[in-house]
Amino acid sequence: MAEGVRQAPDAPHLPEEVRRAIERLRERYPTSEALTLPALHLAQRHWDGWLPDEAIEAVARELDLPPARVYGVVTFYDLFHQRPVGRHRLRVCTNLSCALRGAEEIAATVESELGVGEDEVTPDGRCSWVRFECLGACEAAPMLMVDGEYHGNLDPPKTRRLLEGLE
Amino acid sequence: MPKVVIDGRTVEVEAGTNLIDAGQRVGVQIPHYCYHPRLSVVGQCRMCLVKIEGAPKLQTACTTQVMKDGMVVKVDDEEVKAAQEGMMEFLLINHPLDCPICDQAGECGLQDYSFKHGQAFSRFEYAEKRIYPGRERIPLGPSVVLNMNRCIQCTRCVRFTEEVSGGGELGFFQRGARAEIGVFPGKELAGPLATCVVDICPVGALTSREFRFAERVWYLDRKPSLCTGCDVGCNVTIEHRKGAIRRYKPRFNPAVNDYWMCDYGRGTFRRYQELERLSTPTLRGAQGEPRPTGWREAIEALEQGLQNAAGTPIAVLASGSLTTEEAFVLARWADRLQTPHRATWREDGVERRIPNPNGGIRGSETEPNRRGCELAGLVPGPEGASAADLMEGDAAARCGFLLVADGDFGAAAHDPEVVERLRGADFMAVIGWAATPLARVADVALPVTTHAEREGTFVNSASRLQRFERAFPPPTGVRPTLELLIELLARRDAQWAGLTAPDVFGRMAQTLPALAGRTYRGIPAHGIELESGEDG
Amino acid sequence: MSAWEPVLSRNFGRTEARTLEGYRRGGGYEGLQRALGMEPEEVIEEVKTSGLRGRGGAGFPAGLKWSFIPKATDKRKFLVCNADESEPGTFKDRFLMENDPHQLIEGCAICCYAVGASTCYIYIRGEYGEPANILEQAIREAYEAGVLGERSLGKGPRIDIFVHRGAGAYICGEETGMLESLEGKRGQPRVKPPFPAVVGAFAAPTVINNVETLCNLPHILARGAAWFRGIGTDERNTGPKLYCLSGHVARPGVYEHPIGVSLEQLLDGAGGMFRGRQLKAYIPGGASAALLRADEARIPMDFDNLAKAGSMLGSAAVIVMDESTCLVRAVRRLAHFFEHESCGQCTPCREGTHWSAMILDRIEAGRGSAGDADLLVRVTRNMSGTALCALADAAVGPVRSLVTRFRDEVDAHVAGGACPLPYRPLFTAEAS
Repeated sequence: MAEGVRQAPDAPHLPEEVRRAIERLRERYPTSEALTLPALHLAQRHWDGWLPDEAIEAVARELDLPPARVYGVVTFYDLFHQRPVGRHRLRVCTNLSCALRGAEEIAATVESELGVGEDEVTPDGRCSWVRFECLGACEAAPMLMVDGEYHGNLDPPKTRRLLEGLE
Repeated sequence: MPKVVIDGRTVEVEAGTNLIDAGQRVGVQIPHYCYHPRLSVVGQCRMCLVKIEGAPKLQTACTTQVMKDGMVVKVDDEEVKAAQEGMMEFLLINHPLDCPICDQAGECGLQDYSFKHGQAFSRFEYAEKRIYPGRERIPLGPSVVLNMNRCIQCTRCVRFTEEVSGGGELGFFQRGARAEIGVFPGKELAGPLATCVVDICPVGALTSREFRFAERVWYLDRKPSLCTGCDVGCNVTIEHRKGAIRRYKPRFNPAVNDYWMCDYGRGTFRRYQELERLSTPTLRGAQGEPRPTGWREAIEALEQGLQNAAGTPIAVLASGSLTTEEAFVLARWADRLQTPHRATWREDGVERRIPNPNGGIRGSETEPNRRGCELAGLVPGPEGASAADLMEGDAAARCGFLLVADGDFGAAAHDPEVVERLRGADFMAVIGWAATPLARVADVALPVTTHAEREGTFVNSASRLQRFERAFPPPTGVRPTLELLIELLARRDAQWAGLTAPDVFGRMAQTLPALAGRTYRGIPAHGIELESGEDG
Repeated sequence: MSAWEPVLSRNFGRTEARTLEGYRRGGGYEGLQRALGMEPEEVIEEVKTSGLRGRGGAGFPAGLKWSFIPKATDKRKFLVCNADESEPGTFKDRFLMENDPHQLIEGCAICCYAVGASTCYIYIRGEYGEPANILEQAIREAYEAGVLGERSLGKGPRIDIFVHRGAGAYICGEETGMLESLEGKRGQPRVKPPFPAVVGAFAAPTVINNVETLCNLPHILARGAAWFRGIGTDERNTGPKLYCLSGHVARPGVYEHPIGVSLEQLLDGAGGMFRGRQLKAYIPGGASAALLRADEARIPMDFDNLAKAGSMLGSAAVIVMDESTCLVRAVRRLAHFFEHESCGQCTPCREGTHWSAMILDRIEAGRGSAGDADLLVRVTRNMSGTALCALADAAVGPVRSLVTRFRDEVDAHVAGGACPLPYRPLFTAEAS
């Protein structure tokens, strides 16, 4: 006797351009639920790189899913953020291959250059950083990822130059 | 049907039966947490690992179905025992030592399996226990509290809200050892079936707000009964300590409430504790105030009232809280008085819905047994006054004698207008358990038992007759309704003297075609569907 | 070894091969042409005969997997290309997608035709933003050229390929975890049976194959199964193989060899050890593989030889460790990886990965006790064969090899109350 999903009457809506982008993907999948990951990626981009609760609830409403279920999806994956991030998001790989080639020293450099700890945002909102698992670029270890781009064969000076170049 | 051999015992089952269910049929209890017959099978807890001949690894019993002959399963096996001990150790390493303060103690899946399937030691360092800071007592809503430290991540609660109650309020969040259950931030678990997650949680992670710290379960006596909150008739277990009810828990009946009951029903026992109780019979005094008296005087006053009313209309107004047996006796008493004025009060309220394998059951009346009372004969005869005539019209004022029987009549007994209308009868006798405004203005008020103190049958919204037992005896001074009504009837027809509920049921079976051939003790556990006469 | 003509990596570094025209000029889409001229059954047979085994980690025979798809069904079928590549030390699929996207598209199309799938999803890990863009561009070209769409190459059935980005979870590389994620849920693996060939994506029959596996198909179809079989160690270990070499090696990268090359040979072709140091140990196949000793550097790295040695080829992620490496620290790093990536569904993995990581933490910090090695043995034994999916067994791999093959390292930590090989910085303090 499952009653079906009831969306709260005051559940937030997604912005129109995000809705349209999701609509364009509907024909690719047999179910609405399969749009969850693409929809969350699109929503996160719109909300400056993170997903506040209202964004998650809006996606749930758009796909007619229980908000708790979508929340479970968001919290499962490492690329979805639930706290504000910097304009630039750094992910420093510290898995084995990079660790063998000095990844911890790169992470220390990032931390001291930015002056904030892992998962924190610099006061000017410019950067946030985290350690991350293997990014699949071990040929260029040690490496890190800035927004969508990979930067490898790093040493502390190169890392500092890279950070200075971020606005 | 295919046969499977479990620990040397052969059992024949429907194709598709899983090994946990198959094992239960032959008395082999395979331990499990995440499996529940009404929820999707996820094979997560790994507690039910068993050895299947021919399979290279142990397999989960919940996910293994018997499809054809030839499967040989071992549960009593060294490798299986080692796996059970391993799983128990894993579950306990991050479980807090909360037993002394945890409600679940005494009915806890971890305690029970620890004892049966665990090992007597652990090599885990206490300081490394994982905790969920700030999540030791989170109200998930008005009725359920979460202690995430105790959770064993079986996800029964999540699957319940997704698949049974349908609200999807609970989710499984985070990943790995940080995985947790919860509600969407700012939302709550507040549907009518919310507390069912407490029933199915194997541990004390989910507790009932109203039962928290109320009682140690090993002090509770348990008796099978029925809920009186509405006319669905959910099967419950009354759990009490020496007559003080501590909680209701749902009792399995796939034909009615399945494994479930609603939060409103769970709370109905409080009414019996909250309303002031009638403890002795009372007579109306000179100034209209109730005066305590003895039973003999009270009944003689009632009989006198009847005598004085000879030649005038005599009316009987029953509530749907009477058992079918009580109603039957009351109807026969009305017969002896030759009055057509015998009605059962009906009140409709909130619609309650309980899921079950037949598409669910609904009820919207506020009393459990209006149908049983009407079946027993408490319906107006030709030109007889209806309940509405008496309670909303002025029929009572034309009565020389009015008997209002049982229940506390809900809000009506507290409604001054209803009380005044009924008081319009020359002589009003009230049989009830609560000291309501109605009882206080009665000429005679006779104190009787509450629901837990009597036995009998109810007929629910789907015409199912179900029997319930007495949980504990009433306090002295108070009499069972049936016994009182039998006494009143026996004064007019001696063959009824001393009859008990089974006897009355026997009489009912002789006169009501729907009950032909039935006996009280022979009523099946899941009840009798009256329209078709089918069992269970 | 003698001149080895690269097969899978022939277009690496040749940017013009990224375009459909450039790909075609190099002989691209001939395999698909040939496949479309055969019966789907024949294509499956060809792949079976080739001996191609899955390149994602499990090494399951590809043709055999395809044959599990039910023939008599009117259900729509799917191919899901596993481009989740999150096994530590693995980057070959990224190279394949960035350098030669059409090779993968051709492979997907061949597989779709063979099994009767009309739709292929390339499930690519969310971190691979650039490779996903490159793939999408190539797919657009393929539609324009009629390779994909209504009638593939003008004579085949409808074939659609969509790129589906993941969101950062290693467990989504597990077949059924991937299906759950594709369907929009948490990537928690499913109970098997039923297997994806029967109940897969959206409850339909589904084949799941790794990127590299699919990239072999154009070559098998163009040059024949016999040619493919002639490459490699023996009949059960055939074909060219991409090896990902990383860690303490002078020139880390992707190296293609006939399957069965040894570490010694790989290092030879990659400039030898990093900074000329000594080899201490290596991982032949990703984080799930048991560590091997330096004196085991001659084992042919194929499926069977490595399994016999107590390890696995897995994703062919070869991680090299020199004498400066504390193996307890290395395995501890991997244990934390598995702890982080466990989906949390089932008891032995959720609790066992967490517990193993904590035990290794204290051993590495010098707070281990004498019984800790045996405790690790017990914990990993309770994780083996009891969990819902293979991640628990994967997590057990490196830990068990540490306490069996390299027990002395553990004992040294416990006896000395400290790590005997503290981390040595690679970069000296440099002025900015």
